[in-house]
Amino acid sequence: MADKITIFINDKEYQVDAGQTIMQAADKLGFHIPRLCYHPKLSIEGSCRVCIVEVEGARNYVASCSFPVSDGMKIHTNSQGVRKARRDIIELILDNHPLDCHTCERDGNCELQRLAASVGIRARHFEGEKKCYDKDLSSDAVIRDPNKCILCGRCVRMCSEVQEVHNLTQAHRGFSTVVMPAYNMPMDNSVCTNCGQCINVCPTAAFLEKNYTQELFEKLNDPDIIKVAQFAPSVRAAIGEAFGLAPGRNMEGELVAALRKLGFDYVFDTQFAADLTIMEEGSEFLERVQNGGKLPMITSCSSAWMKCVEQFYPDLLDNISTCKSPMSMQSALTKSYFAQKLGVDPEKILSVAVMCCTAKKYEAARPELEVDGLRSTDIVITTREAAWMIKSAGIDLLNITPEEPDHPLGESSGAGAIFGTTGGVMEAAIRTAYELYTGETLVDIEVEAIRGLKGIKEGKIVMDGQEIRVAVAHGLGNTNQLMETIRKEPDKYHFVEIMGCPGGCVGGGGQPYAQANTIPLDEEALQQRAQALYDLDRGKTIRRSHDNPDVQKLYKEFLQSPLSPVSHKYLHTHYQAKTPKGIVPKETKTGV
Amino acid sequence: MKEKFKLTLCDGPSCIHNQSKEIRAALEAELSQHGLADQVSIHLSGCLGMCKQGPILIVNPGFTMYGKVEVADIPNIVKSHLVEGSPVAEKVIREDHLYNRFFRIFGDVDFFGKQMRITLRNCGIIDPENIDDYLSVRGYEALAKVLTDMKPEDVVAEVKKAGLRGRGGAGFPTGLKWEFTANQESDEKYVICNADEGDPGAFMDRSAIEGDPHTVLEGIIIGGYAIGASKGIVYIRAEYPLAIERLEKAIAAAKEHGFLGDNILGSDFSFDIEIRLGAGAFVCGEETALIHSIEGSRGMPRPRPPYPSVSGLFGKPTLINNVESWANIPVIVLDGGDWFSTIGTETSKGTKVFALAGMVHNTGLVEVPMGTTLREIVYDIGGGIPNDKAFKAIQTGGPSGGCLPAEYLDTEIDYESLAKAGSIMGSGGMIVIDEDACMVGLAKFFIEFTQDESCGKCTPCREGTKRMLEILTRITEGKGKEGDIEKLERLGHMIKNASLCGLGQSAPNPVLSTIKNFREEYEEHIRDKKCSAGQCSALLSYVVNDNCVGCGACKRICPVNAVEGTRKEKHVIDQDKCIRCGQCYDVCKFDAITKA
Amino acid sequence: MVTPIDIIKKKRAEAVNRIISKGYLSTKRVYVGMATCEIAAGSKEVMGEFRQAIANGLTDVYLSQKGCAGRCNLEPTVEVVEEGKIPVKYGKVTPERAREIVERHLKKGEVISEWLI
Repeated sequence: MADKITIFINDKEYQVDAGQTIMQAADKLGFHIPRLCYHPKLSIEGSCRVCIVEVEGARNYVASCSFPVSDGMKIHTNSQGVRKARRDIIELILDNHPLDCHTCERDGNCELQRLAASVGIRARHFEGEKKCYDKDLSSDAVIRDPNKCILCGRCVRMCSEVQEVHNLTQAHRGFSTVVMPAYNMPMDNSVCTNCGQCINVCPTAAFLEKNYTQELFEKLNDPDIIKVAQFAPSVRAAIGEAFGLAPGRNMEGELVAALRKLGFDYVFDTQFAADLTIMEEGSEFLERVQNGGKLPMITSCSSAWMKCVEQFYPDLLDNISTCKSPMSMQSALTKSYFAQKLGVDPEKILSVAVMCCTAKKYEAARPELEVDGLRSTDIVITTREAAWMIKSAGIDLLNITPEEPDHPLGESSGAGAIFGTTGGVMEAAIRTAYELYTGETLVDIEVEAIRGLKGIKEGKIVMDGQEIRVAVAHGLGNTNQLMETIRKEPDKYHFVEIMGCPGGCVGGGGQPYAQANTIPLDEEALQQRAQALYDLDRGKTIRRSHDNPDVQKLYKEFLQSPLSPVSHKYLHTHYQAKTPKGIVPKETKTGV
Repeated sequence: MKEKFKLTLCDGPSCIHNQSKEIRAALEAELSQHGLADQVSIHLSGCLGMCKQGPILIVNPGFTMYGKVEVADIPNIVKSHLVEGSPVAEKVIREDHLYNRFFRIFGDVDFFGKQMRITLRNCGIIDPENIDDYLSVRGYEALAKVLTDMKPEDVVAEVKKAGLRGRGGAGFPTGLKWEFTANQESDEKYVICNADEGDPGAFMDRSAIEGDPHTVLEGIIIGGYAIGASKGIVYIRAEYPLAIERLEKAIAAAKEHGFLGDNILGSDFSFDIEIRLGAGAFVCGEETALIHSIEGSRGMPRPRPPYPSVSGLFGKPTLINNVESWANIPVIVLDGGDWFSTIGTETSKGTKVFALAGMVHNTGLVEVPMGTTLREIVYDIGGGIPNDKAFKAIQTGGPSGGCLPAEYLDTEIDYESLAKAGSIMGSGGMIVIDEDACMVGLAKFFIEFTQDESCGKCTPCREGTKRMLEILTRITEGKGKEGDIEKLERLGHMIKNASLCGLGQSAPNPVLSTIKNFREEYEEHIRDKKCSAGQCSALLSYVVNDNCVGCGACKRICPVNAVEGTRKEKHVIDQDKCIRCGQCYDVCKFDAITKA
Repeated sequence: MVTPIDIIKKKRAEAVNRIISKGYLSTKRVYVGMATCEIAAGSKEVMGEFRQAIANGLTDVYLSQKGCAGRCNLEPTVEVVEEGKIPVKYGKVTPERAREIVERHLKKGEVISEWLI
């Protein structure tokens, strides 16, 4: 129990715990002090100065995000002086901001806009020179617009502290300060993993996903092509938030219906490919265990993680599963198995993926994922882009009649659903691998040890007397630690699941922006999104991937068996070491 | 007749109280009686730091020091010492203090007379590259004393007793800082010497290191012992190659003699010092930015608390002091905190080094006891303003400081009085400004510097100083608007109150203090579009007067052909074409061009 | 037990002896300011002149560098210290002046009063 101390906020007396900041104490007491650079997941930056308060006896205003409470402290959050200073600070930020709100992608969902409104800036006093930089449009996934940047440093801290990618940093000084990758490299030649977490935490539009909605609308209006959509598990768990719903509402049926209304001829479910991934990956794992292959085997579903491993862990590439991600498996089958069924030329098919992820845009463009020279996934849009398209097309997502995904690539098990949250792939794999290995059915199929938001989770399962040790990490920072462990102790684990984003795909870089008065990547919201997927799993009769009848049919009709040559052609790939400019050479990384 | 003796008479407040004025009169009378008036010169010094023994009279050559001199002693001293050549033994005091040794050599120069040298006590009198020179002036004796007789807490207590305050500018009590750091439990602690001297025009840290590097090292080692650290770092800017070279030599020599390394002087205390080079960012003088820079990160400050004494370098308790602060430590240890605390004012003890520059005869480094007035520095030490110009203001504290007009000349310098007057002590920059300076232009110069050197992290400093600079620029260009002064004040107060670090919190000082003290100059620029000092080129106009003989020199040199007129007739300058470069004014031999 | 104080006293005595053995007790000690500011003002060349003079046979002189005493606008500075006499301080010393100081002051004992600080 922390000691209680007495503080005064705006002349009212309160008993609060010692050892916390003014902002923490005020939050609990119902005083929301305006803030900008603060984020609970990130270190205290203290840079925006929006959260200043007056403390009696202090020489200056103090930043409430960093200043600790002390006994007898008299705090004023709304004195005339503080209000005026805070207002002027926000005005100064606006003075160096493009102010093209009505044409900005974040119009209506911009923290700076909300903040300016909340402090009541009605006149401008200090306008002058504005910064002027080129947009960095080089990346297929994440675009950077320094003109929109207000230098709160959240992206820098997210990229270095949570993701430990260290791609972004402030450069130059004073008014010329700008956030950029090392050596001002374009994003596509930087160490950016395209995870998109910078977008999630950016209060404005300094980082955005590369937008494909206009191109997609154009294609949807083309009568000569067959439009096929797939959508990731965690999209259904989050898209409702973009329509004002609380986090954690499963919108699967509504989303299927909306995508059809948008003009898609077929709507498949990426959860189908998730089940398929388990068949392939589970079999690959068993094959490695039985034939002395390279262990631990590490999952390969997360596109950001795959770029990360190519850049930073080239020595571990043999540990990576050769399976493509579910999205790429689904697309490959859409343009082969499904095209054959329809009897059409695969070139006539437009394969669109609705993903919680920005890195999937980058993945879709990877040449090694082409099959017979044909790109599998043509367009990837994020949850956010999908939500905007649905709104833009005038579709009432909230009141639409739910529909079912199409066959033969739409049926899924509960195991496929939980792919969208950290630990889900591992849990799904255990359900199937156990049965494939032992021939017996696993009774207790919910693996609590690897659920939840702990950074690195470990579990054990005994199969025919053999102990299989597994580990799960989410977010590239946690992943970093786990990889260092694996480098030092290669025998510690047999099977490792990695998701590049905090919380797994539910916390993907393409998920809806935080609404007013909520925090991006709020842990509670992540848990609620995950819960929606776990509920979906529980609600299904089929909860193991190998029991999915469409999957069984696919093997019978097309793939023959897991790891067959046909499977390898469509569902497996390989990865190569990459060295973008500015990367730390391998020799200088610890442990190599 | 050649001068035989130079006498230095202490002119500190305590000695004046003890009738030093009367002593001087008696001396002069006695000297003329012996016909020695033209062979002996009398110089006044500031407080010599020996008030208990005062009044003090020093006779050179020989550096004979007389204490408790009374008027009645004068005839005997003059007769016996100055006439017959044998000092009056019973009045001679033999105190071996570390400070003011340089009076042996420099005591007779008026520039040094009012000074008191503690920090720079050896600068200019020993060879900085020879450790023997330092040893010969009781070098490393303070370290030996500490290791022999004092527990770490005794050292902290001594520094606290001395009342030393941080010489980097903020003036935080050094002893308290040491105590906080000493009280932290940690497996590792660090000591840092901040030699990232960045104020334009300030060079006391460089001078101290170049002139006497061992003093700084000795201070750091003692600090390490006091707080329980085993590692010290000197963070010095790479632009100081000679200082770095001398520090390196000094560290090597100190290691050789066993003052650094394992088991220093046979004790069980081990300590090492490493040099880290800064790339020259002004903000890296701020302690948290400096720590980030040492750690290999971008040099940006972070919010405090936690203070470095709790969580500093690599998250460990860290003691950071400025070069000048460190250089005081050996003196405090050897001469005692009690003695040190007798120098200076109620709240600020010891001496402060100032870099005196601008419009004074004698520019240079000046070390004076706290409590010396600005007037003494400008006139007694600085020798007054050249060319009979009028004193206009004095700017203290570098780009973070303020401009004080003549009515503050009698301010006794200490941290509080300068702050009260609207300026700061800062690191000790001191620029004397005469009537030719434009205060708006001066304020603009400083805000341009801080804007350039802002790390870009916090909004008020990054954006606010930019807007202040824009407003000041338009005022100096004659485009100022009514309300601009109020905007500057509004921004200035906000930036002071809300910025993250000391750089931002002090950046508006030059503007706010010039508005406070010279508001009419701002108003003149804005309302009358006029710069009385004639410095703002955009507000000047050059007009040909009746002295013109029509030589055509101005016409030939004008780069934009703004001068018209036929030879041997009065020329005219087309004000629309004129770009106010001033070349015509400079080239005219007949004073025929008026600058207005 | 030997205390640190004992050690330092011994070291100081040794240091003083070393200084003396370098000729400190010569009749004239010459100090040339050699801080960055002094060097910028030309003190290296001045030092060079004194070194040259000693190489050319000037005796009874103890030559040493020193840090900056703080008299910026009079740099480079040179002090000539003689036991029993008032130290002589020259300002704005050029190589030419240095040569003259060697000839007139160091060799002949004449204080060149117009260059004094």
